[in-house]
Amino acid sequence: MRLRRIFSASIAAVVMMTSTAFADFPERTVENVFPWSAGTAMSVSQIIAKALGEELGVSVPVVSTPGAAGTKAFITSMNRPADGYTIIDGYVAPLVLQPVLGNADWSFKDFKPLHAAVSNAFSIGVKKGETRWSTFEELMEYGKANPGKLRYSSGSRNNLPHMVIAKVLQSYGVVAQNIPYKTDGDARKDLKAGVLDFSFINVGAYLQDKDGFEILLVLSELPGAKASYDGAPSITDLDIELGLSGLAPMGWTWWLVHKDTPDDVADVLRAAMKTAMAREDVKEQISRVGFVPLEWDHTQYEEIVGPVAGQLGAMGNALKWEEDELKKLK
Amino acid sequence: MLVDSILAGYALFMTPAAIGLTLLGVLFGLVVGALPGLGPLMGIILLLPVAIGLPPVAAMGFLIAIFVGGSCGGSISAILLRIPGTPLAAATLFDGYPMAQKGRASDAIGIAISASALGGLFGGGVLILLAPALAQFASNFAPPEYAALAVTGLIAIAVISEGSLLKGLIAGCFGLLLATIGTDEFSTGYRFTFDTHHMLNGFHIVAVVVGLFAISEMAHQTMGNDLLKKPKIDIARPGFGSVLLTLKHWKNLLRSSTIGAFFGALPGAGGVISSFTSYAVAKAAAGPDEKYGEGEEGGVVATESANNATVGGTLVPSLALGIPGDASSAMLIGALLILGYFPGPTLFEQQPEIVGGIFLVYLTSNVFLLIAGILATPLFVYVLRVPKSYLIPIVLLLCTIGTFALQASVFDLLVMFGFGLVGILLRAASYPLSPIVIGIILGPLLENNLRRSLLISQDGYWIFVERPVSLILIIVNLLLIAGSIWFAVRKKSKAADKVPVSD
Amino acid sequence: MTMRKKHIGWMVVAFFVAIIAVVFQQIYTSMTEQGIASGGPYDNAAAYPAAVAILIGILVLLQAGLGLLRALPPSDEENEAISLARLKRPAGLLLIFGIYLALLGPLGYHLTTAPMIFAVMVLCGMRIALVTIAVSVVIAFVLAFAFEVFLKVVLPGGIFALNIPW
Repeated sequence: MRLRRIFSASIAAVVMMTSTAFADFPERTVENVFPWSAGTAMSVSQIIAKALGEELGVSVPVVSTPGAAGTKAFITSMNRPADGYTIIDGYVAPLVLQPVLGNADWSFKDFKPLHAAVSNAFSIGVKKGETRWSTFEELMEYGKANPGKLRYSSGSRNNLPHMVIAKVLQSYGVVAQNIPYKTDGDARKDLKAGVLDFSFINVGAYLQDKDGFEILLVLSELPGAKASYDGAPSITDLDIELGLSGLAPMGWTWWLVHKDTPDDVADVLRAAMKTAMAREDVKEQISRVGFVPLEWDHTQYEEIVGPVAGQLGAMGNALKWEEDELKKLK
Repeated sequence: MLVDSILAGYALFMTPAAIGLTLLGVLFGLVVGALPGLGPLMGIILLLPVAIGLPPVAAMGFLIAIFVGGSCGGSISAILLRIPGTPLAAATLFDGYPMAQKGRASDAIGIAISASALGGLFGGGVLILLAPALAQFASNFAPPEYAALAVTGLIAIAVISEGSLLKGLIAGCFGLLLATIGTDEFSTGYRFTFDTHHMLNGFHIVAVVVGLFAISEMAHQTMGNDLLKKPKIDIARPGFGSVLLTLKHWKNLLRSSTIGAFFGALPGAGGVISSFTSYAVAKAAAGPDEKYGEGEEGGVVATESANNATVGGTLVPSLALGIPGDASSAMLIGALLILGYFPGPTLFEQQPEIVGGIFLVYLTSNVFLLIAGILATPLFVYVLRVPKSYLIPIVLLLCTIGTFALQASVFDLLVMFGFGLVGILLRAASYPLSPIVIGIILGPLLENNLRRSLLISQDGYWIFVERPVSLILIIVNLLLIAGSIWFAVRKKSKAADKVPVSD
Repeated sequence: MTMRKKHIGWMVVAFFVAIIAVVFQQIYTSMTEQGIASGGPYDNAAAYPAAVAILIGILVLLQAGLGLLRALPPSDEENEAISLARLKRPAGLLLIFGIYLALLGPLGYHLTTAPMIFAVMVLCGMRIALVTIAVSVVIAFVLAFAFEVFLKVVLPGGIFALNIPW
């Protein structure tokens, strides 16, 4: 008797499974593949994923899949079925920068955009009480007089802040050594301890410890970014022209799906994400972490991301320049 | 100021939501910790979306309780099944499993839980009393100091693998080598990835640990002749007496908790290093009649008090500096930020009630861990009464799902299986497996900080002796190496004296 | 047939020698091509693994050398014989589990898991009966439910995309 019931239950389950193909999207968990290790940025993606899940009526867990500057997450997602159940958390580094550096063979046009998610501005900061310089120009003068002596960190090597900082340094003819760190926090700790001379500081880190750092240069021309660093000088205040505008010098992510995802499925996700990103509570939670919620929808993808790809491509030699100059000094 | 902030936090903490969620968090943490694969980090990630919709102290209580429960839960499967539920518990099985084999499973779990809770409370005391000072001290630790500290960890391998010093060191170095697989942080090149994207971040440590221990253990279990029988193990009733059993080892408890809190306060060191180091120290300090590795209570006390004290220690740099000690506390910082609070010096000045509330939830988590854990011990021990013919397939399946859940990756399962085979081979040849785990943890700490130091240094290796703390650590390391060689030689000569008699 | 512990010891030595060989093979091929096998600490990713591999080599040599040089007869432990017949069951378990993991990706969780549990149970001596089948199916479903519903894990669906919308 009991056996028969178990059997009929399992048959019912099989029937249920086969019927899934015809039902409406989504009817099960949708996964967001996140390209970095667990940390603050991941919790920001979790805010959006939670809201998106509420709009879709299913849960949207964020799965951390770090490796190779974020490209592992992209390859992993692209190897999954194009059924809309896998969302790519499309950070600029794996989406645009790694292809520019020749480490990935896709372009931003190879994905179907859902909606812009968040951006995160960077700045160059030094420790409070630094006596060797008080402005960015003085730091650059010191660097020029002492080639190869300055130590800084952009977090990882060849990431977006590294590229932008290298570009700035190149414009001033300053050669400095980047020190990669596993987590940004460790780099800031060593900056405060005087082991590093300057470091990239994102808004969240600045907000946590305003008294610990002196922000010398905000790496963005957007007025909002300058405001989040309490009006510190930004790249628009420099005498040099970097050729970077809009999102180009910043970190950001645009949620994407596989190119072959059916349009009706992508539209369901797009509509839900648009509603989620417009929610006040979502915007508020994101802003608290020091990230900026973005309102661009999928129709503006090419218009926004295209110039970023162009500008990053144009400055591609900054990293190579730094490497070559460092080798010459050795 | 300290009393003020705790009093201010008291009102935020004394709500049904905060207390209830702290209890729930401890229970959930125990379960994710005990299940092979999932651990405290996965537990926190899974429930962070829930937590950010709650009042701040209740939310932090929930997540910190998962961290506390999860850091202890791994010991349960280590003791009962010889499978560390998390890498944190890899050193707990040295003595925990032999204790269970001698019919003292309840005692072993009771001690593990009591030691975890007491160690955690000690870590909490450190957090409350010393947070700003300790955070200041930790900022003296830069890459050269971390590299020297990693060497100290490697020396600990020599101490714990007594009797097979060479085999232990070989296994430890194997772990160091495994840690180099994937994308190199410095050159950004790919090492040993064999052109597959699956390998770009190396092997997931949990897949390796589950494979080495769980798969090899299940294969070993099938060799028994009693697979169908309900094991008739006489299980003593567990109780709060295990707190007394633990307190008998109060010196060990204090020492291991101090080691744990210290390593916790250093961002990047973490619980695995604390538990191995505490075990090594406890073993080195043991009396002649204490047989570590054969079911000595002190072994469980050392590892479990250390890894939970680390949780308290980890909260020091997280709260006082806003710098996460490990991935779990990085998620805690993320949650705190979303809730609208900035961990760091200003939090202590401007929102002391939140700091006080976090202190309280942390302390309460440990008290709940003690009570709930000991009350639940009979449930855990029931696992021993399940016939092996049921237990083996269920454990295999739990390993599979738990490991898969980490990154939704089938490749991780193949890694797990591969390391199962490696584990079987090494076990059969009497190689210890735990040094591999500590090798994997120490690998990046050693290599990256070594290379980082050399990049920072303007004059090569001199950086290691120019910095006072680094110099002291190097001298300590040299003394430890000299000491262990001296002991090993003395032991050999003693053993050699005995050989003719026994043959 | 039996196998002695010292033979397994030699297998382990062979295992580590193979690993050392792979390390240097990779350094001289893949890493050299990528340009990360030379230079300073910023660019040289090969120096450290090479050093660790050499260290393993020295330790393994010492280990093997001690075994050979020791004029003493092998200890009881080392001479302990394991009859190959006793290894049948663990080998069977690994075979079943290996096949399961290999098929899990292509066929998905729901088609492969219950058969794996069933096979392991039978290997452990349980009768081939409806009860055993039923228990396997129930275990597979209960665990899938617990992980998919409470922990939001999406278990592999395989080529047929068999995922249960609980």
